Amino acid sequence: MTDLLNESDFRDALEQAMTGTMAKDASFSRAWATGKLDRKHFVNWAVNHYHYVGAFADCLALIYANTPDSARDAKDFLLQNMYEEELSDDRHTDLLIRFGEVCGATREQIMDRRNAMPYTKGMAGWQYQLSATQHFAVATAAMVVGLESQVPSIYRTQYPVLIDEAGYGFTEHDCEFFDLHITSDEVHGERGYQIVLKYADTPALQQACIIAVREAADMRFNYTKSLYETYVKPDLGEWVEPTATEARVASLV
Amino acid sequence: MPCIRFETTDRTTEYPAGESVNVLRMAIRHEVGLPWKCGSGRCGTDRILVKEGADHLDAPRRRERERLGPLLDEGYRLACQTYTSGDLVVTWDPEQKGLDEGSELHAKLKERWLAAPDST
Repeated sequence: MTDLLNESDFRDALEQAMTGTMAKDASFSRAWATGKLDRKHFVNWAVNHYHYVGAFADCLALIYANTPDSARDAKDFLLQNMYEEELSDDRHTDLLIRFGEVCGATREQIMDRRNAMPYTKGMAGWQYQLSATQHFAVATAAMVVGLESQVPSIYRTQYPVLIDEAGYGFTEHDCEFFDLHITSDEVHGERGYQIVLKYADTPALQQACIIAVREAADMRFNYTKSLYETYVKPDLGEWVEPTATEARVASLV
Repeated sequence: MPCIRFETTDRTTEYPAGESVNVLRMAIRHEVGLPWKCGSGRCGTDRILVKEGADHLDAPRRRERERLGPLLDEGYRLACQTYTSGDLVVTWDPEQKGLDEGSELHAKLKERWLAAPDST
């Protein structure tokens, strides 16, 4: 039986659970960050991302319902996270649709679930199932630590090339979805860690959280990889990371 | 290791060299007592005055530019929007509120929120 980890070791274990499967390192993310994608690829991304993140507030609501009143700070965090996704400012999915429309998609095309990959639908189903059935600390570990806390690291590599005139050449307004999430998910991710560190208070719960984070990171990594396999590989072939020289030349063009 | 000194509450936090860290995230993680509310550059509650280390900060983001306006030139930043990759010293007014909270519009909204249901 594993002993109860102290807070520092538990946090290290949660972070370690994502090592090797960070979505920023998946082929689609790397092709994006190195300027290899076309607008049609971004349309495909917007469709699938809508059906992945569109489930997020619903899932937080399920976790909220499973969280006891004695964990009031955890409930408040979940409610605030939902509010910020949906109401506090522009609705986040509307910002995502704005980007998709700039790339040539229609709102209807993005919102039509039939246009998403089977993997995306499966991932959304996994999120609902986990959120509805798991202890709130375990579900928070998966949804917030495993999925949401990765967002800043992904978009910090993808956003600069989006608004670079020598890159994809979008405006800041077109890309507000990304800029907003770089910073807001730093806060959500950190608060998520605090909830998990506080309420996973038995060895069994801690281990369940570590497994849930590993599973979530794996889901997101493979979802991102599937985007490349489905939409980009037919155009660019197998993903090969540009050499340092190629990257330098590309940055000078 | 580089560090952020939160002077108002006399707290210092370190982070690994070579990393670029979000100032509000560090403040929340280490519970340094920096006031904040929305965490997305909208309310302005987490504004900080940069006393040292401005050269280590990312350029101001769009929401930060829109929210702070001329305060940026006075050395203020929003902790939630700011990343640092070196030593930093910041301070703030411990009683500070969001930038709209003293406005006429905010007063009207508050009056409406707090009004008894039968008086609206």
